[in-house]
Amino acid sequence: MSGMRRVRFHTGWAVPLALLASLPWWAGDQYQLHLAALIAAYWILVAGLNLVVGFTGQLSIGHVGLLAIGAYAFAIIAGRHELSPWIALASAGGIGGVCGLLLGLPSLRLPGFYFAMATMAFALIVSELILALGDLTGGGVGLSVPGFPEPFDTPQGYYLLLLGIAVVITWCAWNIARHPWGRALVAIRDNPVAAESVGVPVFRMKLVVFVASGVTAGVAGALFASLQSYITPDTFVFELGLFFFVCIIIGGRGSIAGPLVGTAILTALPELVAPLAKLGTLFYGLLLLAVVLLVPEGIGRLFEIVLERLRPRREASPVLEPHAGRLASAIRRQRDEA
Amino acid sequence: MKASLAADAVTKRFGGLTALDDVSLELRPGEVHGLIGPNGSGKTTLLNMLCGYYPVDGGAVKFGDEDLSRESVQRRADAGIARTFQKPRLLPTQTVLENAMLGGWRDGRAGFFASAFALPSARAEQRALRERARELLDGLGLGYALERRANLLDHAESRFLEIGRALVLRPRFILLDEPAGGLTGAEIERLGIVISTLRDAGIGVLLVEHHTEFVFGISDRVTTLNLGKMICHGAPAEVRHDPEVIRVYLGA
Repeated sequence: MSGMRRVRFHTGWAVPLALLASLPWWAGDQYQLHLAALIAAYWILVAGLNLVVGFTGQLSIGHVGLLAIGAYAFAIIAGRHELSPWIALASAGGIGGVCGLLLGLPSLRLPGFYFAMATMAFALIVSELILALGDLTGGGVGLSVPGFPEPFDTPQGYYLLLLGIAVVITWCAWNIARHPWGRALVAIRDNPVAAESVGVPVFRMKLVVFVASGVTAGVAGALFASLQSYITPDTFVFELGLFFFVCIIIGGRGSIAGPLVGTAILTALPELVAPLAKLGTLFYGLLLLAVVLLVPEGIGRLFEIVLERLRPRREASPVLEPHAGRLASAIRRQRDEA
Repeated sequence: MKASLAADAVTKRFGGLTALDDVSLELRPGEVHGLIGPNGSGKTTLLNMLCGYYPVDGGAVKFGDEDLSRESVQRRADAGIARTFQKPRLLPTQTVLENAMLGGWRDGRAGFFASAFALPSARAEQRALRERARELLDGLGLGYALERRANLLDHAESRFLEIGRALVLRPRFILLDEPAGGLTGAEIERLGIVISTLRDAGIGVLLVEHHTEFVFGISDRVTTLNLGKMICHGAPAEVRHDPEVIRVYLGA
């Protein structure tokens, strides 16, 4: 993305961050705080998934399976075995990463549509396994999930913990997006043949970023479970996986701010605006339809277009005129460096 | 003596069709090697074999004494073989500078973690790469368009940007697949300036091209293919007057 987005991030992050960090002191009620915590938990997953879907162009619709695995791993390790929630949180991330590896290894070589189907099958298998392994998971009855120790045992404290983790993960995703390693992900999405031609190991990079998204999904699952304090297989319906996917499509491919806004809007709007809640899934469907038809590149691109309009117009483009001397010295210089 | 990149008696079959039959070609550093022939004669197939898109069915691709025949496309890019495409393959949503920077992949040491935590090494690497890409693009004449999205470029700009991306790879050999296709006369002249500059800088250039006047004018040696077989190769003046080349390709 052009320099614009970088600049916007630099100058634009301080104020929203201060507002978010002070939310416990100005939120209207506990429910709004809970909603903000839920958005943060979802975003931790979506931020990782966004690297897979929005940047690398691998259409995973089954990350709800990885979320469930993280949630149950946390509930079993911290709840049943009464280990420290911090150990359980790290384990949930690790298990999420391992499951991402196991899912990604066979499926990431498949072309787009079949890859999406493989991730869907994965999510369905996970939810069946949770029901089948009743001794471990509590089956249809579910499991209660412990909270975190002081000072994160209040709604305010827990929200700030979620916010902190979400900020770190956002920062990491943003770093990846602007460094050459992450730009190569976009090359894999837009033109894998060109990416290969300059030496990008396409499959290996898809796998690394998919495993990373497994880790964030596992961590998000643990935090989400603890926020809900009780989980059953019904907590992780397949539609939730589609929901994450839609957050990214509405937010815009190759953007970080866009999917963040998408996640916040899609989570909060139906809860805050009562008439929308009645529409339920229909609301998501209509919003998706509107975005795909009107701004197929998503909300993120909309920001960019507005910023481009605000900038002064460039003068007519000069003629393409190579300069042999400068070209020769540039080639010589880069050879001497190597 | 610098290593050359060579196709050594290469054969390629697609099903029952023999696309290349026992073709040899040696690309030397600091030389422009023209590759001409009618449509379907196997020019692009040969280029694709040199950079690893198809495995050989017979013969070998060699870089100096090293046999590259079984190496991947990526491994050959690592060895310093860069290419452009008949139809430019750019990243439409990325800027000109970002497109060119992709060519620097093989210099990159910063992986997932160094990038995610913006370690100083990753930041320094990115700065150096940006500077290097900027200089090359400036030399190519694209300095005015660095921040433009690639989907807004015109055809000649796209072709030059592809050459820029290939140059950022620090290539020892660059394989150009019909770089003059769709360019105006004036633009082809500028392309000629670029190609001579690459040659003078010691890069070996393979020039697959239909524009025969351009090829004969700039090449040090020319190879002609017809129906997957090599029919003539030598200095431009010899090839131009070869009766077989005139019969199958140039016309009287």
